[in-house]
Amino acid sequence: MALQTCDHCQLAFPERDAVSETIDGWEHTFCCSGCRAVFLLIRSEGLDAFYRKRTWDSPGVPVNQQKEVNAGLFAADIQQAGHDREIDILIDGIRCASCVWLNEKFLARTGGVEYARINFATHKARIRWDPDRVSLDRILKRIQAIGYVPRPYRESAHFRQQKAAARDLLVRFGTAAFFSSQLMIYSIALYAGYFQGIDPATRSTLEFIAMALTIPVILYSGMPFIKNTFIGLRHLHFTMDSLITIGSGSAFIYSVYQMVIGGTVYFDTAAMIITLILLGRYIEATAQGRAAETIERLSELCPKEARILRDAGAKDPFSRETALIPLAELKKGDCVKVLPGERIPADGRVLHGESEADESILTGESLPVFKTAGSDVIGGAINLFGTFIFEVTRTGKDTFLAAIMRSVEDAQAKKPRLQILADRIVGYFVPFILVLSGTTTAAYLLKGSPANTALMAGISVLVIACPCSLGLATPLAVLVFTTMASARGILVKSGEVIEETSRIDHVILDKTGTLTEGRPSLREVISLDRMFGKEYLCRMAASVENLSEHSIGRAITAASGGSFLPVRDFRAVPGRGVEGTIGDTAVVLGSRAFMQDNRITLHDPVTDFDKISRSYEKAGDTVIFMGWERKVRALFIITDRLRPETAATVRELLDLGQEVSLASGDNRATTEAVAAAAGVPFSAPEMSPLEKRELIRGLQEKGKKVMMIGDGINDAPALTEATVGIAMGKGTDIAMESADAVLIRNDLTLIPYVIRLAGKAYAVIKQNIFWAFFYNIVALPLAVSGVLHPIMAAGAMAASSLFVVTNSLRIRKGADT
Amino acid sequence: MWTLAFLIFLSLVLGIGAWLFFLWAVKSGQYDDPEGPKYRMLEDDEDEPKKKNGAS
Repeated sequence: MALQTCDHCQLAFPERDAVSETIDGWEHTFCCSGCRAVFLLIRSEGLDAFYRKRTWDSPGVPVNQQKEVNAGLFAADIQQAGHDREIDILIDGIRCASCVWLNEKFLARTGGVEYARINFATHKARIRWDPDRVSLDRILKRIQAIGYVPRPYRESAHFRQQKAAARDLLVRFGTAAFFSSQLMIYSIALYAGYFQGIDPATRSTLEFIAMALTIPVILYSGMPFIKNTFIGLRHLHFTMDSLITIGSGSAFIYSVYQMVIGGTVYFDTAAMIITLILLGRYIEATAQGRAAETIERLSELCPKEARILRDAGAKDPFSRETALIPLAELKKGDCVKVLPGERIPADGRVLHGESEADESILTGESLPVFKTAGSDVIGGAINLFGTFIFEVTRTGKDTFLAAIMRSVEDAQAKKPRLQILADRIVGYFVPFILVLSGTTTAAYLLKGSPANTALMAGISVLVIACPCSLGLATPLAVLVFTTMASARGILVKSGEVIEETSRIDHVILDKTGTLTEGRPSLREVISLDRMFGKEYLCRMAASVENLSEHSIGRAITAASGGSFLPVRDFRAVPGRGVEGTIGDTAVVLGSRAFMQDNRITLHDPVTDFDKISRSYEKAGDTVIFMGWERKVRALFIITDRLRPETAATVRELLDLGQEVSLASGDNRATTEAVAAAAGVPFSAPEMSPLEKRELIRGLQEKGKKVMMIGDGINDAPALTEATVGIAMGKGTDIAMESADAVLIRNDLTLIPYVIRLAGKAYAVIKQNIFWAFFYNIVALPLAVSGVLHPIMAAGAMAASSLFVVTNSLRIRKGADT
Repeated sequence: MWTLAFLIFLSLVLGIGAWLFFLWAVKSGQYDDPEGPKYRMLEDDEDEPKKKNGAS
């Protein structure tokens, strides 16, 4: 018996579960009849090219574990589109271009569907259908029939705003760009005229057209800047927006005046300032938007419904009728049924049934927790193997989960908004050039120049001082940084992360799921019987455990290599262990207490295994005993293994000059053992979520810049409090929302990489800002002396923009070392 | 002079045409999914489903 791979979902599964089907002479195997049905359906539609095209790096969800779709949940999102109906939904399970292809093709072949298009990056589908020919319910069932899960698409208000803002910016930038490019044609003709001479009538025509093209750029595309300037002016607060308004506004007014008196015009400068700044803002908005969108999609996974029991009906609580109700309608005292694989919808106490719950994301406890009648369950934890019924004791805002989310919100509210570096400089720069411009005008007046000459000299100072490449300096570097980071699997939420990450001097790592893999695996087999080798003992244990669905059992099964012995009389005792007969041997496998139940002695003066096992338990491992005929024959040490790259990563961080510590909710022995194995110098055991936050706050008060890396809800308050919080991508939604960056691939080596990359990017940003100012400041004396020429203004702008672009591209080198 | 006026007129018409096209493109969501098209273009379109399962 070996592990097989399902031809549809690619999950490895034991052969005893296999469902086979011979199609065109080829034998296909599936993990369940659901997957087989999907395979046959896709084939019968002639879409089996999907299986050749797809590029999956991990198996999908087996079809039989999916819940039924409730079309009622989608009803509110349906839009009228003429006679047709239209809806946006999310489709779960899409992982490659072929999945998009399969879904689009399959939907297009559903009679009545007029249009189906899936966004590759966001997995959002827009479907339009004819309500007379097909119902939404059928469309959703079709999607599910090929193994994908449709989910209602709800944008948060904040996210919708962000998207609308990005689109608004695109329209404003596009408009500015089209008018500016038209404008350039006339400006170049005018420049040529300065050098070669130009007929005055033609010149004024060209100047007039140039002015007409500049007006929409300033009044439409530049409107947000103008508005912000006036808002800022009321508080005497100067920002980048004030600088842009002053620069382009003064260039425009100056040019109009010069046009009237027959001087030289600067319309191109006025328009280009706004265009380039808008380009920078648009780059910034899209880079942030993409990360936000991915995170938004991941974080919609928590349960929105609960399956409550209807009171009347059969005696056996498990055969009673159930109904799905929205979570908001769940009341204290309701009885809720939870199926295997589902998240528990609220806090409560188990009434019937037995199971194990994975609470690691909430409490940091790495092993599944056994639940039986009377146990407390936490809302948000995942029910692993059994079905149980529990009575709701707390709902809504009173739940454990809600308490943690509140503390996250508190921490987020307290976090000071970091001003972007350029804005701080601008705050000083704007008053400076205003004073310089005023002084210039005054000096000319004192010298006895006419008022209009003096005023024009003052305005020309404002024109040349506006460094339009300043608007590109930060966004371009941020864009290169986020592109590089996301190519490696790091989603960065905002550019602020760069500055903060570049200053980090203390890294705190969570244990479960961050340093370790977050699931149990077999570390060691200790044979206590000379008759049998470790391999054989492991094979015996695996054969018995193969029939159980316990996570610890699976750790042993996974380590055995997949060849099993036949087992009779299998029995599982929840929370204790399993037993079964191999050949003539009745094998008992489980905890110390289970051995005593089966009258297997735990005292052996020769090997003294009890002492050995206790020493392992002290170090935080779980010990499973295997015995038969009154004697313990082997010990299986189960542990949550370190990720393979952990030790190397910690060393690299220490080499980068970082202090590294470990914070965990687990007990001291386990935490210290893991810290020692990973090479982490400091460890803080038994930390509650709020204590982790206090730990970080304490370090920050000492002037440390702290980076926190975690995955659980229990890390969320700490992630928000930290200077930079990084969440593991397979962690929880809340952790990802509270973090500044998310590692999509759970690969710790990305941490030193992102620290180096941020250092490099931050250095480039500082250089960019310096050079953006440099060219304009060099040209300032010319403006003051009154010999400013439009070519100089254009030259300064082009030179600094080119420098900023090429310098930003340098980030791509140097981070890989 | 007339040539110049004509060319100016032509360039403005073309420029504004391109601008209106751009506005339409933004509005109809052409910029919403910059990732997808590069994969879509590689897909072979088999317009008719293979009928062999149903028929044979």
